[in-house]
Amino acid sequence: MTLVAGAHEVEPRVTTAELRQALPLVTVRGLEVAYDAQRVLAGVDLELFPGEMVALLGASGSGKSTLMRSLTGFAPITGGAVRVAGHDVTNLRRGQLRTLRSEVGQVFQQFNLIPRLSVLTNVLAGALHDAGPINLVGGFSSAHRRRALELLDRVGIAHKALEPARSLSGGQQQRVAIARALMQRPKVILADEPVASLDPKLADSVLELLREIASEDGIPVLVSLHVLPLALAHSDRIVGLRRGEILVSGRTSQLDAAALAPLYEDEEPGDDEH
Amino acid sequence: MTSTEPRSRVATGTPAGGPSAVDPMLAAAERHRLERAFRMPRTRFLIGLPIAALLLIWSFNGAQFNFVKLGEGAVNMGEFLSRLFPPDFSKLGTILALLLETFQMAVVGTVLGAVLSLFVAVCAASNIAPKWLYYPTRWVMNIIRSVPDLVFALMFVSAVGLGPFAGILAMTLGSIGSIGKIFAEAMEQVDRGPVVAMQAVGASKRQVVQYGVLPQAAPLLTSYSLLLFEGNVRGATILGLVGAGGIGLELTTAMRMYDYGHLSAIIICIIVLVTAIDQGSALIRRRIT
Repeated sequence: MTLVAGAHEVEPRVTTAELRQALPLVTVRGLEVAYDAQRVLAGVDLELFPGEMVALLGASGSGKSTLMRSLTGFAPITGGAVRVAGHDVTNLRRGQLRTLRSEVGQVFQQFNLIPRLSVLTNVLAGALHDAGPINLVGGFSSAHRRRALELLDRVGIAHKALEPARSLSGGQQQRVAIARALMQRPKVILADEPVASLDPKLADSVLELLREIASEDGIPVLVSLHVLPLALAHSDRIVGLRRGEILVSGRTSQLDAAALAPLYEDEEPGDDEH
Repeated sequence: MTSTEPRSRVATGTPAGGPSAVDPMLAAAERHRLERAFRMPRTRFLIGLPIAALLLIWSFNGAQFNFVKLGEGAVNMGEFLSRLFPPDFSKLGTILALLLETFQMAVVGTVLGAVLSLFVAVCAASNIAPKWLYYPTRWVMNIIRSVPDLVFALMFVSAVGLGPFAGILAMTLGSIGSIGKIFAEAMEQVDRGPVVAMQAVGASKRQVVQYGVLPQAAPLLTSYSLLLFEGNVRGATILGLVGAGGIGLELTTAMRMYDYGHLSAIIICIIVLVTAIDQGSALIRRRIT
């Protein structure tokens, strides 16, 4: 179902014509996910095209995180088809699953950095999948190190490269996490509530960085958010989930707060995020 | 005191396809109980308390614990302690040489024990090892832990002969049972976030352990290794009793020969060594935590 509202002031960076020309890097058809007997997602369809930033909205427990997890084989898919970066996620062996994950950069709400290790090592961890035998003794090649430092330059914290990750502020830690995701040379980036632990100013800067990555590198970014203004200001497209089903889907420029309000109607505060 | 929420709601079921609808309201009776400054303990506590008390009394009796007997024997104890003074340091060279051997045994036993324990712990951590590996490893560790180090020392003395090598082997094997379990528990307690992040970048199982688990557990692992080292220094003095090297044999000989001055000098030297190691360990712990 698509709700189309009045025009929004944010201009889409990726035009519809451009999207139609590109093949989707993520294709989800009729996705169903259930934990034990509890169905969390039901009949979800989604496509992500190169270069677009798509905001995933919905109340707590609506299935946003589960949808994110199902794209990298972290959630039990019980039905439907999921294709990510050329991989059929529903039918992967362990080695293939690791390859898929290495091609999908993930950014988490709590950053998930290794607190005692340096910022540089945390970024290098993004290259673990192709680190080679030198990594047996904890090493990374010069090429990997050079790229990690370039990425730290890009996210603006190269001067903190040797400091332990735990000494950084929340915004800086999330930038390190983004650099780690980029270190994977990802074909898709999934960001699950990446700014929920940050103040509004830092949230803006982190989302701006993700959008810049999407448009400059042509990587589709799926970002789950729970603050409507952030989604309206920083995305090309919005997909809204309600109780495991897609209720709203459309270009951000054609949506506004009123159009998205049904996502949160009659929802009780939940303590479990799906 | 009245409840602000007189109504009690019953948690509803979970509709298929939707989020769980657990009632966030407290039951009125539970709310009333929590608001009271002094509340009756729960039934399980009221039943458990006398059971625990009975168990304690039963154990005191079984262990023949007797304060009166201790009071009566205090004079003899004082007399024994008085014999230890003055200490006789005439054989200080021998004591220091044996103490050095004890220290060396502890260093080798700790390094071998800690390294082997690390591998065993990975197999015994529920968040890392599969169940088919986790349970057998835990059982083996339990068996090792149940056997006293002295028995291991006797076993290795019969295998490799008298001397510190047997002591080191006993210490190493004993360490796997004790410190291996603690290492495994330290690994189980790490924050799950970085582990998930490592899985998410496509890391192998070994890489997840190397980057997601070990760096987080490292301060605890180091701290426990230092504790193991302190224990091994003390333990090495005991292993000497069965001829497994170190200062233990000299200690036993001094006791059997009623050479209390020498015994006292040995004990003082052990105390100095253990205290120095304790202080050094504390310094390292402060730096790593």
